[in-house]
Amino acid sequence: MFFQQLINGLTVGGVYALIALGYTMVYGILELINFAHGEIYMLGAYLGIIFFGFFTGVGLTSYSLPLSLLLTFAISMIFCSAYGFTIERIAYRPLRNAPRLSPLISAIGVSIFLQNYVMLTQGATDKVFPHLFGASGFTLFNARITHLQTAIILVSLVLMVSLHLFITKTKMGKAMRAVAQDKVMASLLGINIDSIISLTFIIGSGLAAIAGIMIALYYGLVNYSIGYIAGIKAFTAAVLGGIGSIPGAMFGGIFLGFVESMGASYISSEYKDAYAFLVLIVVLLVKPSGIFGKTTEEKV
Amino acid sequence: MIKKLLEVCATLTIMLVVAGGCQKKGEGIKIGLAAPMTGDQAKIGTDLRNGVTLAVEEWNAKGGVLGKKIEVVVADDQHDPKQAVSVANKLVNQRVAGVVGHFNSSCSIPSSDVYNRGGVPMISPGSTNPQLTEKGYRGVFRVCGRDDQQGKVGAEFVINKLNLKRIAVIHDKTTYGQGLADEFKKFVNGKVEVVYYGGIIQGDKDFKTVLTSVKEKNPQLIYFGGIYPEAGLLVKQARELGIAFPFMSGDGTIDQKFVEIAGVKAAEGTYLTFSPDTKRIPTAKSFVENYEKKYGEIGPYSVYAYDAANILLTAVMEAGSSGGKAVTDKLHSMEFSGALGKIRFDDKGDVTVSPYVVWITKDGTFIEYWRP
Repeated sequence: MFFQQLINGLTVGGVYALIALGYTMVYGILELINFAHGEIYMLGAYLGIIFFGFFTGVGLTSYSLPLSLLLTFAISMIFCSAYGFTIERIAYRPLRNAPRLSPLISAIGVSIFLQNYVMLTQGATDKVFPHLFGASGFTLFNARITHLQTAIILVSLVLMVSLHLFITKTKMGKAMRAVAQDKVMASLLGINIDSIISLTFIIGSGLAAIAGIMIALYYGLVNYSIGYIAGIKAFTAAVLGGIGSIPGAMFGGIFLGFVESMGASYISSEYKDAYAFLVLIVVLLVKPSGIFGKTTEEKV
Repeated sequence: MIKKLLEVCATLTIMLVVAGGCQKKGEGIKIGLAAPMTGDQAKIGTDLRNGVTLAVEEWNAKGGVLGKKIEVVVADDQHDPKQAVSVANKLVNQRVAGVVGHFNSSCSIPSSDVYNRGGVPMISPGSTNPQLTEKGYRGVFRVCGRDDQQGKVGAEFVINKLNLKRIAVIHDKTTYGQGLADEFKKFVNGKVEVVYYGGIIQGDKDFKTVLTSVKEKNPQLIYFGGIYPEAGLLVKQARELGIAFPFMSGDGTIDQKFVEIAGVKAAEGTYLTFSPDTKRIPTAKSFVENYEKKYGEIGPYSVYAYDAANILLTAVMEAGSSGGKAVTDKLHSMEFSGALGKIRFDDKGDVTVSPYVVWITKDGTFIEYWRP
């Protein structure tokens, strides 16, 4: 049973981690908690259903399922990245020099707007994603693992590793780290801060889109309100790992999925949502900056 | 400044008078429909509204009631208890003659306080929690059965028909879901071993952790007290975990969306306790024809909403008034012949006869399977 619960936790945790990365990247650079990020994930799930439906309609799915899925992922990512980019332009950039509370309120506003926008255009009822894979899978150490679960875990890991390499090894990634450390200094060194910030939103939104579609595939059920609780959980994961820290968000997400799974199975399933927040409180009491967070001294 | 204030006051007063006037001008008789019109149970809300609208249109075609046209005031409770109380207050303020609603027990029970205080009778088309009519409010009725009756039929089925020895019980922690699961558990106790009993969170999407724990206990059946979105996901995820034993649930799960979410293959063989098939009730024949002509496929609760509206309007007609007290008295004393057959309310406001039967899911549709 332990191994089965581990796999269950890892699947959900991987998705939490992907969303948490968006929170933490934006926070690292802007010190802004982007509350609209959960809605991007929800949009990703909806766009996935819409585009997959479209490809099925034109006959691409029956021609080649992998191609159809790949295109669905790609196009939804592009759309979500465009959403992320636009949100930053409209709702956050004009408030760049305002007190820190203003962009936060703006973020909550965007979140409410997107939820209602999707509810009004797509309807309030649950949307069902077609059952593509059924219950096919394999048994390992007495645990039943579906192929979809394997795919979700692998995709999450691959994305996290690639992001890590991007941040640490490429020039762009270096620029991002520089902007996160000191915006003024980075701009003096010739880094275009605005485009780096846009890039952060684009990458974060793209990851959220993938998370959204994977969840839509996994549960087969999407509605306009899924972004809220997923957003809160991912935010918890980001804080748990140390907000602003990218390995922290990855660890936080997976750890959170694991805690939920174990808590629900060994203590009681009725308080599943509470375990995540309980762990958060404990971590913040012991190490206020989060597990991977660095305590920053106030800049003078 | 003072002049400005006075101006504002005057404007407000005029607006109030105008608004009051408007209310009087809509001189028809209003009946309320309170149901989840948006959210994940919006389909049920639409089914109920169609049922009520059909009844009202038939009355209006015959000239309305007491010589007045009937108007339906639709209130969306979003299956949220807080929202339910707030719309209940709105309906009372609009002076409706009675309310068809609410659907969820968790909404009906707190709202019944409001209707009782406002002197407005309510007839629930689908709230099956026993507590609703146990509060001693004279104006609270329901045309559906009660969970204790439903749980009992479910338990009899598991014991007498399936001869099971080990079962698991899961509920969604709501008034309805937990109430149903508890009643079921009460009736199987002593005869069948309940190897797992636990709750899940309504709105959650991941039930694999719970199901893994259940699988470990090796039961022969899972009984679920809850509504179709969770039921669908539970069944789907159970099959993904390699759980082969059947599910059983109550009337909240009997919805086409359940099959859509779970998948036809996974849902196959799920048992559900529900009232007899509307299409197989002889008295409902003309209702079914008219409904299908107008709205297409009939919802599982449409006929209850239809009968509830008809009973309410008949009581208004026979009482000769739309006053809350007169209508309530009439509801208690009269006997009504509707699409569901003869309906009579007992002192608590429950129907005197409540037939529950067991249905089974087969090839993606529900069919009547067993009668106690």
